[in-house]
Amino acid sequence: MATDLAEVQLQVRFVTKQEQYAVPDSPYAIQSNVQSSDLNTLVNALLKETNAGIEKAVEFDFLVCGELLCTTLAEHLQEKGASTEETLDIEYLERFPAPAPQDCLMHDDWVSAVQAHGSWILTGSYDNSIHIWSYKGQHKLAIPGHTSPVKAVSWVTFNGDKAVFVSGSHDQSAMLWVWDVSNNSVDCVVTCRSHDKGVECISVSADALKFATGSWDTNICLWSTSLSNEDNVPAKKRSKPDQGNTREPLSTLKGHREAVSGVQWMDFNTLLSSGWDHLLKLWDCELGGIKQEIAGNKAFFDVDWSPLNSSIIAASADRHIRLYDPRSTESIVKTTFTSHTGWVQSVRWSKTRDTLFLSAGYDGQVKLWETRSPRTPLYDLSGHEDKVLCCDWSNPSLLLSGSCDNTLRIFKAKHAVGNA
Amino acid sequence: MPPFRAGLLKRKIQAENTKDSSAKDEKGNPFDSNEELFRGDLDDAADATDSEREEEEDAGSDHETEGVMFGDDADSTLGDEDEAEGSDESSELTDSEADDESEENDDDEEDDDDSEGHEESSDEEESVDSGAESGPGLTHSSDESEKKIEKQTPKAKTESKKSQKQKTDKQTTKSSIDQLADKIKETSVNIRPVEQKDEYESGDTSDEEERRNTVGDVPMWWYNEYPHVGYDLDGRRIMRPPQRDQIDEFLKKCEDPDFWRTVRDPQTGQDVTLSKDDLELLRRIREGHVPDPNHDEYQPWVEWFSREVLATPVRAFPEHKRSFLPSRSEQLQIAKIVHALKMGWTKTRKQIADERRKKREKNFYNLWGSSTNEEEEKLRGIHKHIPAPKRPLPSHAESYNPPPEYLLDSKEMKEWNKLAETPWKRKYTFLPQKFGALRAVPAYERFIRERFLRCLDLYLAPRAIKMRLTISPEDLVPKLPSPRDLQPFPTQQVLQFKGHEGVVRSVDFDPSGQYVVSGSDDGTVKVWETSTGRCLRSIRLGESVCRVGWGPAPGLSLVAAAVGNRLLLLNPGADIGAHRVAERTDRLLEEPPPAHDVAMDDRTKSCVTWDHVKPEEWAIGVRIAVTHFKPLVHLAWHGRGDYICCTVRDGASRAVSVHQISRRRSQLPFRKSKGLVQCALFHPTKPLLFVATQRAVRVYDLVKQELVRKLLTGAQWVSALQVHPKGDNLLVASYDRKCMWFDLELSSKPYQTLRLHGKAVRSVAFHPRYPLFATAGDDPYIVVSHGMVYNDLLQNPLLVPLKQLPSGEARDALHTLDVRFHPAQPWLLAACADHTLRLYS
Repeated sequence: MATDLAEVQLQVRFVTKQEQYAVPDSPYAIQSNVQSSDLNTLVNALLKETNAGIEKAVEFDFLVCGELLCTTLAEHLQEKGASTEETLDIEYLERFPAPAPQDCLMHDDWVSAVQAHGSWILTGSYDNSIHIWSYKGQHKLAIPGHTSPVKAVSWVTFNGDKAVFVSGSHDQSAMLWVWDVSNNSVDCVVTCRSHDKGVECISVSADALKFATGSWDTNICLWSTSLSNEDNVPAKKRSKPDQGNTREPLSTLKGHREAVSGVQWMDFNTLLSSGWDHLLKLWDCELGGIKQEIAGNKAFFDVDWSPLNSSIIAASADRHIRLYDPRSTESIVKTTFTSHTGWVQSVRWSKTRDTLFLSAGYDGQVKLWETRSPRTPLYDLSGHEDKVLCCDWSNPSLLLSGSCDNTLRIFKAKHAVGNA
Repeated sequence: MPPFRAGLLKRKIQAENTKDSSAKDEKGNPFDSNEELFRGDLDDAADATDSEREEEEDAGSDHETEGVMFGDDADSTLGDEDEAEGSDESSELTDSEADDESEENDDDEEDDDDSEGHEESSDEEESVDSGAESGPGLTHSSDESEKKIEKQTPKAKTESKKSQKQKTDKQTTKSSIDQLADKIKETSVNIRPVEQKDEYESGDTSDEEERRNTVGDVPMWWYNEYPHVGYDLDGRRIMRPPQRDQIDEFLKKCEDPDFWRTVRDPQTGQDVTLSKDDLELLRRIREGHVPDPNHDEYQPWVEWFSREVLATPVRAFPEHKRSFLPSRSEQLQIAKIVHALKMGWTKTRKQIADERRKKREKNFYNLWGSSTNEEEEKLRGIHKHIPAPKRPLPSHAESYNPPPEYLLDSKEMKEWNKLAETPWKRKYTFLPQKFGALRAVPAYERFIRERFLRCLDLYLAPRAIKMRLTISPEDLVPKLPSPRDLQPFPTQQVLQFKGHEGVVRSVDFDPSGQYVVSGSDDGTVKVWETSTGRCLRSIRLGESVCRVGWGPAPGLSLVAAAVGNRLLLLNPGADIGAHRVAERTDRLLEEPPPAHDVAMDDRTKSCVTWDHVKPEEWAIGVRIAVTHFKPLVHLAWHGRGDYICCTVRDGASRAVSVHQISRRRSQLPFRKSKGLVQCALFHPTKPLLFVATQRAVRVYDLVKQELVRKLLTGAQWVSALQVHPKGDNLLVASYDRKCMWFDLELSSKPYQTLRLHGKAVRSVAFHPRYPLFATAGDDPYIVVSHGMVYNDLLQNPLLVPLKQLPSGEARDALHTLDVRFHPAQPWLLAACADHTLRLYS
């Protein structure tokens, strides 16, 4: 059958949403056993004919039947059960350029948390310390302060020379730090103590006024990010002769039955959380109640939400990454992405492209995914020699991943500002 | 009839003439005549069905209208009113004539009686006479008159002719003027009774008429000599109307067209003209018909009472009650018939007809049919017929006249002869031969012999169907659900916890599942983070750690480790688990409870000592140390976390000891040794203690201090024991490769013996939430099985082996030493001999 299909001539029409790469809308007859590289050559040739302005060849990806073409066209069509008789519309778009490995930042211990903001990279490590790096790989600061492995870090604000960030650790506290960039000095402003067990995850809201922490004690706490202490600490607590300031949470969201593994803000009021109790929960922060629950059948390890396409991706205790749509009432998995060979520990959406996301797994691989290609990731960002614990794509040009091999690897996305 | 008609016409003309003359007289009371007309009609209608007599008496008035009708028939040109007048006139005439006649014909009554019949039947002239004389017959009774009529009808006409002549003679003698004057008088007289009749119109007219003459039923000829005929009700004489003589009669006969139907009423002596109805009545009587002309003898017969069931009853009265009740006798009869039909004693007509038809049909059986229809074969006396194998059709070579190429040539013949010793190798089983005609073919010389052999064969070697039992091995295997339907269960290894430098003897999860504790031969207890495999804490204890167990109490952070002779309770540290819990644990255990509370007998003291923890040990986390007299092999926490059950090697009766942490007290529950104790553990909910010796498992009630039951494992050497979290099932592993599942509800024998391993089984584990259990041993794999225990007591546990998970490498013929399930997730942790812990999910 496959050999038969290989011989078939197909009528195809090339369409694109990127106007600068438009080619004439006329059908072409091509062999069905072409691959996407062949199509790429063809489209480039067509482009050269029609559009003299483009000098160098552009790499394209091809969408056939709503899915990225990874095999030969014939196999793809057979898999999709599409007819070879009709004229096929092949949408092409400029391929996301392969990220280039840029740097490898050595740590003393496992890198368990990472986040970038602009040119600064914040990492948390199992040696209880927090590190600040410039994106060029320059180590700025090593901040001791936690007494247990740091499990989550997040930038809060950048205000000229003053940067605020927050870190959560297994020592059951989250700390709010102020980093003076010019002096390169850091100060722990507030220590947030409310969790009974280790803090697993932190997410700062978009307006940078609040942040949420999820913990092993099954609770989610909401905290204020204000640096001054007056407004939200009761008087009797303030009198406590404690080093630094201790802060009570704005509110505590109780509902998970197992550890909370990931939290993400969806908007100023809605929080998304994932738990080991196989549930994704959407919380209304003001009311403190659950808006929606999405049930999976494995423990969730991480979750991320993209405002670009309002979809949820979740990593769970198996090899798959699942894409959920919170708007659908049933917890139907829209797509399952399978390529990792171990547990996937971390997933992050691209901040600029609504179809791209990054995943890090225990198989030592960081993968760059396109949502329309559930079987094959766009790129495998290999390099780690052990389990990858965290990844980050907050800076659209930096793909960061921290691993058990004590390194933070930086990949540079070439022209990250996508046109799509 | 034409002559009769002609006569009628003549009379009519005469009547018209007289009509003109009498018109003046009549004008006096035309109203009366009209009334009469009316009355006649009404009477006719009202009394049509009344007795004949009445009809006849009415006839006096009726005849006038009838006359009109008659005249109408005769001369259609005349107007109705004229006719009526004419008829009135005629009636008057007849009346007057009758009066005349009565006067004249007093003498000869008998003759008149005779002649009356003639008049009515045929002649007009005769009726003049008879009119007077027929009267009494009519008045007496209708029967009499009928008889008379019957008598008189056959009388000869000759007689009537004679009398006719006499009458005509008499009539001519009288002067017409006198007559007229008389008539006028008579009419005035005659009108009166008519008026009287009017008075009695509503009443019974016949009665009234009867009363008119009160003489009764006497022969009227008695009055022949008198001028009157009788007396009326008032006793006054009824005068005889003036009698007419023969001539008058004759004249009248000639003049009066109604003469022929005029009779004399013998009681009154007056003439009565018979109406058309009367005539019809007479005619009908004479002809022997039913007198009523309306009676239809041939009216269609309506079958009112037929077998048709009508919607409404024919009769006005309702059905009798009896008709609603089923008839008892009929029911009995029907029951008898039905019973007979059921028993087959009788048959319905249809059945009988069918049988007869079947009998008549010819019964063949298909002698040559090859079908395997069983019924047909039974018919032929064949039971369980085995069909002979089909033989191939004869080829050309078998023909008596085969084509020459099939005949053997010399070369083939030579080969044929050569194979005489081994005839089965020959090309044919026979020698093809050619004959010019079929009749030239000789008889088959071996026919008799072959038939004989065949018969011998059938007789000596009867064939039978061999019954073969076909049971495939798959049928013997019980049907189990597919593992795919029993998800989730661990399917692959996800993490390796590396760090130990010796064989890992034991592992356990903390109650929340966040951490893992492991004890190894390298003398360390390590605490790991489950999700990453990060070793968070390593506590070096010097001696090989054979068992570890995380305390189940939520408020305490304690790990029990069996190190050599010592049971150590460790606090894994502030950064592991909750700070507060760790601090609280430290606080609780810092100071031992008051000594007077701790009372142990000497026997216990001899084998268990609660040590003071040295500061350097405290620093590494040891909080409590209990030294036993022999090396520990097993420890088990109680569900609440206050008691630990320890087993020492070769301890005999003192092998099992139970320690209470809160009071730092120990107990030796057993006084006698029941065997080599392998392990002992608590029931998860009830105060029961399970003690596994080499061959058996004993269940003790700790409250009653007695043996509850003894479970016979059937194994040679029990290695491990695990109680199902619900407490009713027990899994026992043995070194002789078996695992025994006990259902404590069922019996003391294993509910199922699982042979899942090829080598010694060292460890078993139940999942606290999922229906899963795992067994591991010296095999290079761990077996995960589905062990569903139903709340329904009637349903036995369902055990399905699910998956073989690859274990670590072998070290000293050891593979896996301990397995444990995650408390919440379907994950399995195995302690492997290759110094690693492996997490499967």
